[in-house]
Amino acid sequence: MPLPTGPVLEAGIQSFTFHDGGGPVLERIGFAAAPGTLTAVLGASGSGKTTLGRLLAGWLTPGSGGTLHGYLELGGTRLDFGSGRAGAGANGQHRVEPRIDPAKWGRQVGFVPQDAAAALSTVRATVAEELAFGLENAGVPRPAMVAAVARTAGLLGLTGLLDRNPARLSGGQLRRLAIGCAVISGPAVLVMDEPFASLDAAGAHELAALVRHLVASGTAVVILSQVIDGLLLAADQWLVLAAGTVAAAGDPASLGPDTGLVPAGIRRVGGAAGGALPTARTAPAATGNAEVPAAARTAAVPAAPRETAGAGAALELRDVSFSYGPDSRRPRNKGRWLARSRNAAPPPRQPLVLAGINLAVRPGEIVAVTGPNGAGKSTLLRHLNGLLRPTTGSVLVNSIDIAGRAAGKTAAAVGLLFQHPRDQLFERTLLREVRFGLDRLAGAAAAGERAAAALAAVGLQGAAHGHPAELSASGQRLLALATVLARRPSVIALDEPTVALDGDGLAVLDAAVRSAAAEGAAVVLVTHDLDYARMAAHRLVALDGGRLTEC
Amino acid sequence: MRLHPLTGLAAAGSTAVITTAAGSWPLSLAVVAGALAVSAAGGTARRLLPAAAAVLVPLTLSLLMVHGLAYPEGRTVLAEWGPARVTAEGLGFALQRGVQVCAAVLALLAFSFSVSVPDLVAAMNAKGVSGRFAFVLASTLTLLPAIAAQAEHIRTAQEARGLVIRRGLVHRAAAFRLQAVPLVLALVDDAGTRAAALEARGFSSSGPRTSYRTVPDSTAQRLLRAVLLLAAAASVVLRLLTLAAGG
Repeated sequence: MPLPTGPVLEAGIQSFTFHDGGGPVLERIGFAAAPGTLTAVLGASGSGKTTLGRLLAGWLTPGSGGTLHGYLELGGTRLDFGSGRAGAGANGQHRVEPRIDPAKWGRQVGFVPQDAAAALSTVRATVAEELAFGLENAGVPRPAMVAAVARTAGLLGLTGLLDRNPARLSGGQLRRLAIGCAVISGPAVLVMDEPFASLDAAGAHELAALVRHLVASGTAVVILSQVIDGLLLAADQWLVLAAGTVAAAGDPASLGPDTGLVPAGIRRVGGAAGGALPTARTAPAATGNAEVPAAARTAAVPAAPRETAGAGAALELRDVSFSYGPDSRRPRNKGRWLARSRNAAPPPRQPLVLAGINLAVRPGEIVAVTGPNGAGKSTLLRHLNGLLRPTTGSVLVNSIDIAGRAAGKTAAAVGLLFQHPRDQLFERTLLREVRFGLDRLAGAAAAGERAAAALAAVGLQGAAHGHPAELSASGQRLLALATVLARRPSVIALDEPTVALDGDGLAVLDAAVRSAAAEGAAVVLVTHDLDYARMAAHRLVALDGGRLTEC
Repeated sequence: MRLHPLTGLAAAGSTAVITTAAGSWPLSLAVVAGALAVSAAGGTARRLLPAAAAVLVPLTLSLLMVHGLAYPEGRTVLAEWGPARVTAEGLGFALQRGVQVCAAVLALLAFSFSVSVPDLVAAMNAKGVSGRFAFVLASTLTLLPAIAAQAEHIRTAQEARGLVIRRGLVHRAAAFRLQAVPLVLALVDDAGTRAAALEARGFSSSGPRTSYRTVPDSTAQRLLRAVLLLAAAASVVLRLLTLAAGG
């Protein structure tokens, strides 16, 4: 598709290096986005796309954030960095480095980070005020602000939530709010980092419609992603990154799956899934496509052990109901910062999140629980190891009722992979992370061995002494998985395990889940990713309105 | 008409200043009763009382210890242990100071529990108080719940990996030792991302700011605030003059 006008945002990066003494994270990247176009920056986890996105959006400023050799050009104004040194161009004499004013840059380039909650100010009491925060700082008169808030809320479907406390929004609503905060000042460019991660089908559909609307109204939209879906197939251009540099660039048609130009680490899902999923060495060949014949799917998943339901179940839920009462432990609030004022009224008593759930999972069986955002899937998983207790009903692990047992004790038999790896990782090195609690479980001698084996199983043995925070999102997810696997639990509970995983990571996850099941673990995985659920599980159940139904 | 947060602040502040300056038993007791009544009417008494007790019980006890046992001008000795003498004058002075402090603390607490923080921040912004200051004020009130939530995430993750936390404060405190380092690291990490977001949204811009939230104000309230501040200043001046005349 021909570009209507010249680019509004352009970058020529010879190299970008952080001040941590490491090598360049970005090298030889050319980028240009024209008004009214959709650009997809594709790359597996760790390919440098988030760094590029933050650099383009002024969230990472050359100078204080790192050393840039190259230029950034916004709205016709070109800023040259690192001139006077190697590769600076013709005018090699000494010049003062330009400085980016993040506020002025931010008015023209909006950015939505992967962790949408981190973009919020946390000090505004309502969604409307949070939307207006940037305008307030710019001194926009109130009538114009009110109009802008109403317009933006309408665009993002937030009109009914304007008086809500941002800390009480669901994950999908939070992401829409973060996008609203980025677009309210009418920026010429909008950069979004993995906007589709953790959105269910309905949420993803709405977001795609919003992106199309913004593009049609002249915004240059840039989406950073490790997954290719239907929306990105219709993008005007793709920029494929690998190891911090451009692996391929062009329009989607010229980079189809047959060309081999897009690395296997970048997954194609939904309508974009043309080929097979990358498979791990140990896993049988499996396709990740919803349209594959049933026979192929059956072949992909090893047969579940044949036993009568209930008898000998590794995990059994009997008539479990749950609601968040005043005394129950609250699970992770989706907004990271609970911006609740101490003067706010206590939340009203909530309706049943789980209503009469019955579920039995046999050793070696893989059960997938699906359902829309906010259906209570995570709440269900937290019942399996006693982090949450049912209001009525009981949970049995290896035929023993876990009521009254400390969650730490039940953890010997039940491993839980949290939805957000950041909630699960707290140690200084990968090895310490995996070893936490293992000494008590397996003894000091065996603990080291098991920790090393678990790290190797997820392919992270090389980084054993690194810091978990230095891993990519995919790496963090795999590390969290290793902490679960190292304990060799008889029940494995996985909360949205595919989110943030790139293609290679997904293959590792798939292999690990199959091998754990083959060794007799009962696996319960919660996911909104139906493709993955169908491929990985023996049995699918849906959670909606607090009730479980077999699919 | 809603009470403007600054009117509330002026009322609580000047009450605290005037009772301290006046140093009169009946006035202090009246203020204590008044603050409790306001708090009860506003439905904040259940949260106010524990907070007030946490501040006032140790403070009053220390006043009693200091003045009750060692009051140089004390003549009426009630009891004596070596150098320590409990005198009627000393106890009287300690109680008077205690009630005075109670009055000031209760007036300010009654205000802080009833004020809407977003309104206060908006009002301060409108008065030209720097955005950073208002942010710090608001953050101090949102920080504790945020830290508590973060600590809970980490504890949950550790419990899911076999950390057994038994009931009781001692066990919880011992377990918190394991959560402290990751907690600080997580908060620092979070602050980094948020700082970039705030910068990009023009938080540090030095130009004029506007406020989306409107806080209704009136001439009567403005007048009342001026009167309250003048009264507080007058009470201090009066107190200083009496002291100068007496001493």
